Amino acid sequence: MRSDVLVGAVSILFGMAYTVQTLHLPKAMVGNPWAPLFFPLALGVLLVAMGIVVLLKGLRHHPSSAKKGGSKRLIVVTILICLAYTALFERIGFIPSTILFLGGLLFAVNGAKAWIVNSLIAVTFSFGVWYVFEKIFYMNLP
Amino acid sequence: MELIQNLLLGFSVVLTPLNLIWMVAGSILGTILGMLPGLGPTTGIALLLPLTFTMEPATALITMCAVYYGAMFGGSRSSILLNVPGDGAAVAACFDGYPMAQNGRAEAALAISAIASFIGGLIATVAFVIVAIPVARFALRFGPPEYFMLMIFALSATAAISKEALFKGFISLLVGLMISTVGIDYQTGVLRFTFGLMELQTGIDFVVVIIGVYGLGEVFKNLENIASGGGLQAIQKKFGRIWITLDDWRRSIIPILRETPVGFLVGVLPGAGATIAALMAYNNEKQLSKEPERFGTGTIEGLAAPEAANNACSVGALIPMMTLGVPGSGTTAVMLGALMILGLQPGPLLFQQHADVAWAVIASMFLGNVACAFINIPLAGLLVRVLAVPPKVLYPVIVALAFVGVYTINFSVVEFVLLILFGLVGYGMKKYKVPTAPLILAVVVGSSMEQNFRMALMLADGDFGVFFRNGICWTLFFLAIGSIAWPFLSSRIKLPWNRS
Repeated sequence: MRSDVLVGAVSILFGMAYTVQTLHLPKAMVGNPWAPLFFPLALGVLLVAMGIVVLLKGLRHHPSSAKKGGSKRLIVVTILICLAYTALFERIGFIPSTILFLGGLLFAVNGAKAWIVNSLIAVTFSFGVWYVFEKIFYMNLP
Repeated sequence: MELIQNLLLGFSVVLTPLNLIWMVAGSILGTILGMLPGLGPTTGIALLLPLTFTMEPATALITMCAVYYGAMFGGSRSSILLNVPGDGAAVAACFDGYPMAQNGRAEAALAISAIASFIGGLIATVAFVIVAIPVARFALRFGPPEYFMLMIFALSATAAISKEALFKGFISLLVGLMISTVGIDYQTGVLRFTFGLMELQTGIDFVVVIIGVYGLGEVFKNLENIASGGGLQAIQKKFGRIWITLDDWRRSIIPILRETPVGFLVGVLPGAGATIAALMAYNNEKQLSKEPERFGTGTIEGLAAPEAANNACSVGALIPMMTLGVPGSGTTAVMLGALMILGLQPGPLLFQQHADVAWAVIASMFLGNVACAFINIPLAGLLVRVLAVPPKVLYPVIVALAFVGVYTINFSVVEFVLLILFGLVGYGMKKYKVPTAPLILAVVVGSSMEQNFRMALMLADGDFGVFFRNGICWTLFFLAIGSIAWPFLSSRIKLPWNRS
């Protein structure tokens, strides 16, 4: 199975990176200097071991015909919109950024044809959430 | 007597207007979230978690419990009407529920699933009341080594659910524990894995991990399917009276009563969870039935049994979380985490120090069951219309909710970046079939697990023998070994629930 090979390889790499990072951590000033490192070290080594097992298991089985995955276009678009929201959120404030954010997502996922519904949902949601947080929970949004 | 006094105390806390409103609102929200395919109780509670930050602990816990069993009630709605389970535990409800709806008996199917859930939940709550205090008293004997071993058991049982995913389960578990090591070390003040970022000094908030892995990850996975042309089918919107006949009742009551204890026991044990409880109940009934060939063609007991077990299981799963402070499933792990945010430490001391909260939750389970039954029988025809909301509209709204929720944790956009990151992690895990429950469990208990580990070693001057100092430790050790070996053993011996 190809997925096992991938999961195994990623685990080994991540486990090794984590272990190396652990070894570079500062030692404790009080008590046993290695105390804060012991638990993470065990985790790192175990993860590498598990990764090797899964990798070998994946290699031993004959690769089954790779399942045709769906399109990743929407996922990439969603992530880009999320990142844009992260950048804008504190600059232009909650309501404008959220209208743009949800509106953008709806246009990408639901399609431009349904623009009336999309805009309506985006505006209602943003004002609705803002109202709930400001007036009912007394939390300040930017 | 003491028991009744405690229960009365609990009811007196629940029966305030605010708590009742939240209980009903939670039940409705939970039912709706449970109904929507791809959004299970864990995702539901995770998304609604930020709502509870400003509440009193008792109100928050009552709300979350209501969402929890609301989702359990709701999960089977889409199984029955669309043949798409609303969550994992509702898979077994597809087997006979959907054929029933196809045969024109959707009303009876919706009714019996709510009735069975109600009876199962109610009996399990009574069992909870009886078991909780003795377990909590027993757990007072636990010191750091016992807690560490208990967590090892709970984590390995969750990781080792299936033979195929055993090692991937442990990978998920280890990554979860690694996430919990980020931030300042409580015992020595050493900063670990913060990469110079101030925001990471207090650690990665597990709410971000949960909303990312469950909420965003689920949406990403589903976006892939939308693009490849998946969509919702037409759904029945007109219903007759949602109720059952006397004959239906006669056929269902024994399976309900028989499978409730099965579900409860599966729930108390860590790892297995509601999906397995429901499948076990279904297969048990099929074996015990005089006409097993009718199962799968729309027989009512084939729907009643798993529904009762499912709800009994969800109540049973609250026992280790509330009395020991160690959750045995992803959903209860989220609830445990929420309690810790509110400054409560679930565990044996909860019943002594915060008796009002503990007993209010128990009392709310009785009332919440009644509320859910009301929501799901007379209002079922209305609520299932939610299933007609196109996922293309739903998923963007969920993403927006996830971001708003995460912002309220620390009021910083650094969490947004982490959220996107964990969303991708969750998506990758689902795509490559790495179980996510062990990760969530590990993120929530990880820090306290490490503290217990090191405290135990400090008490014993570094002697590892302390982890085997008494019978409790050894028992937990063998349970952990057994839970890892079990998937291998059970695939050798033919057990009834392995057949489906």
